[in-house]
Amino acid sequence: MDFQQLDSRQQDTLRELSNIGMGHAATSLSQLVGRTIMLHVPRVMTVDLSEVPDLLGGPERLVAGVILKLEGAAGGNMLLVLPRASAEQLLQILLGSTVGLDDELGVSTLKEIGNILASSYLNALGGMLGMTLYPSVPQLAYDMAGAVIDHVLGELGESGDLALVLETEFSGDEVDADPIRGHFFLLPDPRTLELVLAAVGGSR
Amino acid sequence: MTCAQRVGIAEIRIAGAPERLVSYGLGSCLGVMLYAPELRCGGLAHTLLPEPGQKGAGNRPGKFVRTAIPALIAGLEQFGAERRQLVAKLCGGAHMFQNLNGRMTIGERNIRVARMLLEELRIPLLAEDVGGCQGRTCEFRLEDGKVLVRLARGRDKLREL
Repeated sequence: MDFQQLDSRQQDTLRELSNIGMGHAATSLSQLVGRTIMLHVPRVMTVDLSEVPDLLGGPERLVAGVILKLEGAAGGNMLLVLPRASAEQLLQILLGSTVGLDDELGVSTLKEIGNILASSYLNALGGMLGMTLYPSVPQLAYDMAGAVIDHVLGELGESGDLALVLETEFSGDEVDADPIRGHFFLLPDPRTLELVLAAVGGSR
Repeated sequence: MTCAQRVGIAEIRIAGAPERLVSYGLGSCLGVMLYAPELRCGGLAHTLLPEPGQKGAGNRPGKFVRTAIPALIAGLEQFGAERRQLVAKLCGGAHMFQNLNGRMTIGERNIRVARMLLEELRIPLLAEDVGGCQGRTCEFRLEDGKVLVRLARGRDKLREL
């Protein structure tokens, strides 16, 4: 299946699946940090590979990116992207000190946050689809957004020129302080898209 | 000072002095630059993968190192450059994540194919800033063929090739 052939009904299906998955993920994060985490409406986009770095806020933007592979009945990649300030804020809340992104403890904490978000998301998604889905061991890179996503684009590029991106933005609800912000991305491989749509009766 | 032209993933651009060509946030991607010093023109390809699979490169030679280098040469020849004048520089080909499966990373394969092909074509590789685990932005100045490499963090954030 080609990513480009998605009709609007299929896009709606994916958006709704993503919304439910991310709802579970946000609840987990909320419980972890003891703050309300709000979700924005998820976006489902089919874009050229070269446009993906711009979706992450521009290729040169310094971000903490946690990448997890989608394993089990499906394949693809998931990516949690946090601006530097939000990553440091999360570490501050969880570790209560000035542990930074250059610190081993800081790095493994952020990986674990990625793991918790991805596991909740996939649990919900797998439950709805009747599939077993789970994330791989998380990996972290703290660097330019373009460089962080290159590897995923390389994998997608082996089979085509397009990427299907399911994106959800989340943020804390603090009004006075700088809220925590982040983006969660799911980039399924083409075969996975077919499986997902078939499971919800969305394939033609 | 002219505005820099952005070269996105899988793109190729050819230009002459005083233009500048820039690829932002190269990770495992490899920026391949060819320069004709006498004409002061050059080209930059922002390659994603080492070589095309069974499907071929389609209409995007810039996506693969193997097809991008011949396309750069052809583009520069149209500009009036001769192949024997050309010199090359490389930037990128990093591995941003720990390599868990032990095979060569995409970045390493990109670098290897580029070096091999340049040698086969007898185009001297003058300088490179490749590998490692850091993202890079490269800016190719056609005025003098110099390449400015920017890193997001670390001590040595600005380098010149």
